[in-house]
Order: sequence, then structure tokens, then C-alpha cells
Amino acid sequence: MVALTLIAVLDIFLFLLVGAWTVGGGETMITGLVAQFFLGDELSRIPFWNLVFVPDAGYWKIYISLGMLFGAIVSAVLSKEFYLRFPRRLGEWVMITIGGLLMGFGIRLAFVCNVSTFFGLTPQMNLGGYLAISGILAGAWVGSWIYKKVLEG
Amino acid sequence: MSVIGECLVAFVFGSIVGLLVQRSRFCNTAALRDAMLFKTYRNTKPLLMGMMILTFGFTLFLTFGEGKAMHFDVGLNQVAGLFLFGIGMVLAGACTVSTWVKAGEGNVGAMWALLFTFIGMFLFSLLWSENFWPPASISMTGEPNLEALQLGFINARTLQDKFGVPAVIFGMVQVFLLGLIYRAIVKKEQAQLLEHDKAAAANKVELSEAA
Repeated sequence: MVALTLIAVLDIFLFLLVGAWTVGGGETMITGLVAQFFLGDELSRIPFWNLVFVPDAGYWKIYISLGMLFGAIVSAVLSKEFYLRFPRRLGEWVMITIGGLLMGFGIRLAFVCNVSTFFGLTPQMNLGGYLAISGILAGAWVGSWIYKKVLEG
Repeated sequence: MSVIGECLVAFVFGSIVGLLVQRSRFCNTAALRDAMLFKTYRNTKPLLMGMMILTFGFTLFLTFGEGKAMHFDVGLNQVAGLFLFGIGMVLAGACTVSTWVKAGEGNVGAMWALLFTFIGMFLFSLLWSENFWPPASISMTGEPNLEALQLGFINARTLQDKFGVPAVIFGMVQVFLLGLIYRAIVKKEQAQLLEHDKAAAANKVELSEAA
């Protein structure tokens, strides 16, 4: 509760400076930069990387994500909670793989992720926030149903 | 603000968030999943609290034309995209924030989820390049475009401009509604606790009778 209150207050300052907390745009840019590294100029032949996201390392949203990774590493090391842990069963690997794909695909289809839904669009009372919440509630319900079936099965 | 300044501010913000989320173990996925599967609300309450503070803060500044609001047309793609995302986050056991935070704790499953999030985005970029839907921001007008299943751009500020009522008033209504949900959760928790106590007491009586 304290953590979220602090994050919310900081997020208001971020909103005034550059824009509300968001995750997803940064990931897309990272995807683009990595793809550019491997494909070079070939990448610009895919219209998406020309029209929607032109790879640019100076995109601020990338650094929110890198910051979260950095902050978590520092925090985990300091509290002696850093250790490598692996999913044990094959089923978990499969669920994580499918889950990751759906998250990445869904973010780009909607332009937003869960963070922008709950902490960006909805507090700005953007119509998209309510549309996104109705989607994520239905999705989480279906996901929970599948998760339960897998746990029981 | 310069590009480097923006990136620096974003990095500092991200680092603090990473630290706070790692310590508090807050998880947006759990906020929805646990409420639906297990009827527990440890993560749901802070989510609502954060939303109430942000709604007040954002709409207050939007009233005065301050702040950088997200500006793009919305439509059916938000519903569909977040539906897929919602399934994905429960299956992966983490949302976008917790994948980064858990990856930072050495969770290989979270790193794997991140890798496939990137791959999912790349796959979408290929699909988009075939059908160009949803419309890119350069072709957005702010007006409903039903052909493309888009409803235009509406937020607290556009409501203020349209109805002449300050954005923060709309914000207060939303804060009140979120507060009602919060109160309903607290009441439900109290009822659960009461039931738990009753069950425990009944169990005790049975045990003492057996003895």
C-alpha cells in the first residue's frame, strides 16, 4: 500500500515532466533495436518499423524498463533475495511461452499494457482506459480458468 | 526537456519503481487473478489506492492544461488487445512490470516471458504490416472512425472543453466510484474473517467434545 502510494505520487511528477508511467512502448523499441541489429536495413522494409516505431535508442520509455530491472537487481541483492530460479515443470515453460507471446501481441494491438491501463489512461479518464479494463478483466478471467484447469490437471 | 534529460528522469523513476515493487511484492497480475481465483485482495487494494491518487492528480493538472496526457484514438483494439494480454499475464504469472522485477531477482521464467513478449511484439509488427490495423497515430484524427472500429479521443480534458465542467470534477466522481469498490472489498474481507473465526470456533467445540 505504501509502495503504491509512493509510486502514484512519483508518477504524477513524471506525468508533468515527460508523461505517465508506461511499459510496452519501451519494450517495442528494444524489440526494434534488437531486430535492427540483426537485420540491418532489411528491417525498414517492414512498414511497422517505418510508420509506427522507428528504432531510436533515445526513446525515454526504454529507460523506465531498464530502470525497473536495475532497481529490482539492486533491491534483490541488498536484501539477499537474488538467486537464479527456474520453472520446474515443462507445463510451466509452455504456459510462460504462450503467456509472453500473448502479452507482447496484445500490447501492440492495444497500444497499451496493464500499467497504462490502470495507471495512465484510466486516471486520465481516457475512454481507452475503460475499454482496456473491460478487456483485461475478461482476459484475466479466461486466463484464471485455464490456469486452474492446468493446476488441477 | 532534452532527450537525455527525459531518459535520465525515466531511468530514475524506473529504478525507484523497481525497488518499491521488489520490496512490496506488488503484482498487477495477482491483483486480478487472486481476486478472481482465490477471493483474496492483498494486491487489489493497493491497485485501487494508486488509481484513486492518480485520478485526482492527473485530472487536477489536466484542468489547468498541465501534464502530458496520452493522446491517441481508441477503439475495439484496446478491448481485444488487453483481452489477449489478460490471458497472457495470468499464464505467464507476471505482467510487464513484474517480468522486469522478477527478472532482476534472477527468475529465469520471467526472463523467458520477457523474451517471448519481445517475440510477440515482433510477430505483431509483421501482421500489422499486412493489414495496417489498428490505425497508426499519424493517421489518427481524434474523431470516431467506425470503419476502422475507432471511437476517437476522449479524456477528462476533452470532457472539460465540451461541457465546461473542470476535469477535476469528473476525476472526483471517478475517485468516489473507485472508493466504493475499495469499500466493498474491505467489507468482503471482514465478512471472510468473521466466517473464518466462526469456523475456527466451531472446530474448537467439536474438538473439545471429542475429548
